[in-house]
Amino acid sequence: MARRGFPRAAALVATLFLVLAGVSTPARAQVEVRMWTLLSGGDGARMRALVDDFNASQHDVRVVSTTLKWGEPFYTKLITASVVGAGPDVATIHLSRIVNLAGGGVLRPISPAELAAAGLRGQDYLPRQWAKAQYDGRTFAVPLDVHPLVLYYNKTLAGQAGLLDAGGKLKPIDGVDALTAAFRAATERTGRRGLTMESSQSSYAIWRLWLAMLAQQNVTIIKDGRFTYGAAGAATLARISDWFTRGYAQAGLDYPASTSQFMGGNAAFMLNGVWEVPELVRAAKAGTLGFDYGIVPLPKMYANAATWADSHGFALPANPGHEPSPAKVSAVLRFVAYVSKHSLGWAEGGHIPAYKPVAESEAAHSLMPNALYAQAAHDVVYDPDGWYMGAAGPLEAIASTFLPAALYGYLTPAQAVHRFETEAARLVRKRPPRY
Amino acid sequence: MRRDHIAPAPTPTVHPTTARRDMLPAWLLLAPFLVAFGLFFFLPALETLWLSLTESSLTRTSAFVGLDNYHTLLNDPSFWDSVGNTFYFALLTVLPLCAIGLLMAMLVDRFTAAQGWLQGTFFLPFVLPISVMTLIADWMLQPSSGVVNHILGGQRAWLADPHWALPAVAIGTIWWTVGFNMLLFLAGLRNIPSELYEAAALDGARGFTLFRTITWPALRPVVSTAVILQLIASLKVFGQTYILTSGGPFNTTRVALHYMYETAFTQSDAGYAAAVAMAFVAIVIVLSLLQAWIARWLARRDA
Repeated sequence: MARRGFPRAAALVATLFLVLAGVSTPARAQVEVRMWTLLSGGDGARMRALVDDFNASQHDVRVVSTTLKWGEPFYTKLITASVVGAGPDVATIHLSRIVNLAGGGVLRPISPAELAAAGLRGQDYLPRQWAKAQYDGRTFAVPLDVHPLVLYYNKTLAGQAGLLDAGGKLKPIDGVDALTAAFRAATERTGRRGLTMESSQSSYAIWRLWLAMLAQQNVTIIKDGRFTYGAAGAATLARISDWFTRGYAQAGLDYPASTSQFMGGNAAFMLNGVWEVPELVRAAKAGTLGFDYGIVPLPKMYANAATWADSHGFALPANPGHEPSPAKVSAVLRFVAYVSKHSLGWAEGGHIPAYKPVAESEAAHSLMPNALYAQAAHDVVYDPDGWYMGAAGPLEAIASTFLPAALYGYLTPAQAVHRFETEAARLVRKRPPRY
Repeated sequence: MRRDHIAPAPTPTVHPTTARRDMLPAWLLLAPFLVAFGLFFFLPALETLWLSLTESSLTRTSAFVGLDNYHTLLNDPSFWDSVGNTFYFALLTVLPLCAIGLLMAMLVDRFTAAQGWLQGTFFLPFVLPISVMTLIADWMLQPSSGVVNHILGGQRAWLADPHWALPAVAIGTIWWTVGFNMLLFLAGLRNIPSELYEAAALDGARGFTLFRTITWPALRPVVSTAVILQLIASLKVFGQTYILTSGGPFNTTRVALHYMYETAFTQSDAGYAAAVAMAFVAIVIVLSLLQAWIARWLARRDA
């Protein structure tokens, strides 16, 4: 039996081999692009959809994406892997980390010829974001989006507090006193919180708001290795902590607690990044929200209406000893160009696309609620330049440790700013590391 | 006279050839330990010492800077704060761990009927991995759903409270590791000859007198060992605070090893982190020697 079966089995195997070889001939020419990303949750799902669409749209390049833990773990892994030649082919990064990553030798510059070959042009991107992707006169990343800090409001509660106009939109708020008055009115007239925002220990939100409010006063944080905000630093933090000590907002809420306070209709306003938009859209669509919401850019509290923002972008790790081949680089840029041109899907995550043909398209202009705050992209302030700066960088870690302490009353605003400065002083004095 | 016929007693100094003959097996027997010790402890320690004298990121050494890192360290309030937090943690754990361990050992020793059950119950937490222990502690300390607040009433966020976070971690640690001390003390208790107690009982000694005059003096070497082991273990605390509080709130639970971790991995400053490590090792050695010296001095004074 076994003997008689053998030739047939052999023939089968041979056929199978031939078939497989036939199928895999085009596949062998396929370039595999390994991507590391820090995007999880809704952003992760949307990026995965873009990757799948790209993989389905052609057969030459296959992107394989790996999601790593957001923040410091992602950057530590990216840095250590990329400088020993074991990094991925492409990574999503924050543009606020460009000085750190490009200056530290973690990233590989992308030449104008390589960009041009992929059909990418600097003038097609929002100028501020394109400039943020440059370091030392060279391009180190292709911007994907802008995600600024915005003000969400609950129309039911804001209406009860008399803060809406006849059209049901938030009346313009001009000045920090007016904003404080709005929070107070909402607190007193609704019996709920006027404001909710992430305020627990080690939350970055307070740093972002503080940075934006200082930028609105045309005050810089740091220059030539010195802190330059002077008395405005503590005074501005005191303005924020005032909202908490007076009970307009509740201190100690972590991110999920702060957003559920707003989603549950227990706070009139929410200060948060635009990344919370999809949750609101989803809840509104499902009918579980229980109120109408609106979004405005961060109000002008001082001299201008600047708001904090950061941007995602795609960058190529340097991988010394394992430098990417020209074919690999062009495969990566082909994917990046695809994502840029299809970034309207990405905008559903609340982000403002950095690719102008998409950002300025009719479809983007009519995308709600994004259109409510699209204006904010033009007036954003990033973390200042510095090797220690940027998303989840060492200075943000220190700021997120001490600034929220003022909201609890554990430290006075002046003490909190002082402790932040004292601990950050060693970083600021240090020479930028070459990784 | 008869002594003359007896072969001369072996001289205290071993014959050179015998010594050489014993040498090889001795080294062979020692080799596995020495290789492991050299590769995984001694060489890395030397490397760390060297690293502490340089300016280094996680992957690259860029300059030799001599004692610069140590100079910065002396004037770094963050380092001294973290050392202070570590000492506070040691203060909260070392003596309770020894006292409760001793109490548990005496309970086990006394209630012979429930011995196995008691010993198992007391020792069980020690076998838990740190991830499980912190998970349990975190559940119990949850502000709104935790059993601790359920019993005490109130909504205190124990691990987010600047005054309670470190004591809360310390209490969790005591529950977790006290079983080991119990075993140490139990071994010590079982080494005390029962005749001593019988003789003392005949003389009319009862209760605490027995403990004070027999148990405590006999246990003294064990106590001294337990304290020093516990001191070193408590100063090395990292996992519990890293997982439960990540050093917060406001760095009130950031211990020395956590500060070292932060400088190395968040700030990419391996040179400075190495200096923190070396300085902390020096502090631990000095403390251990001091503690051993005090224990010896106490023993001599009472002798």
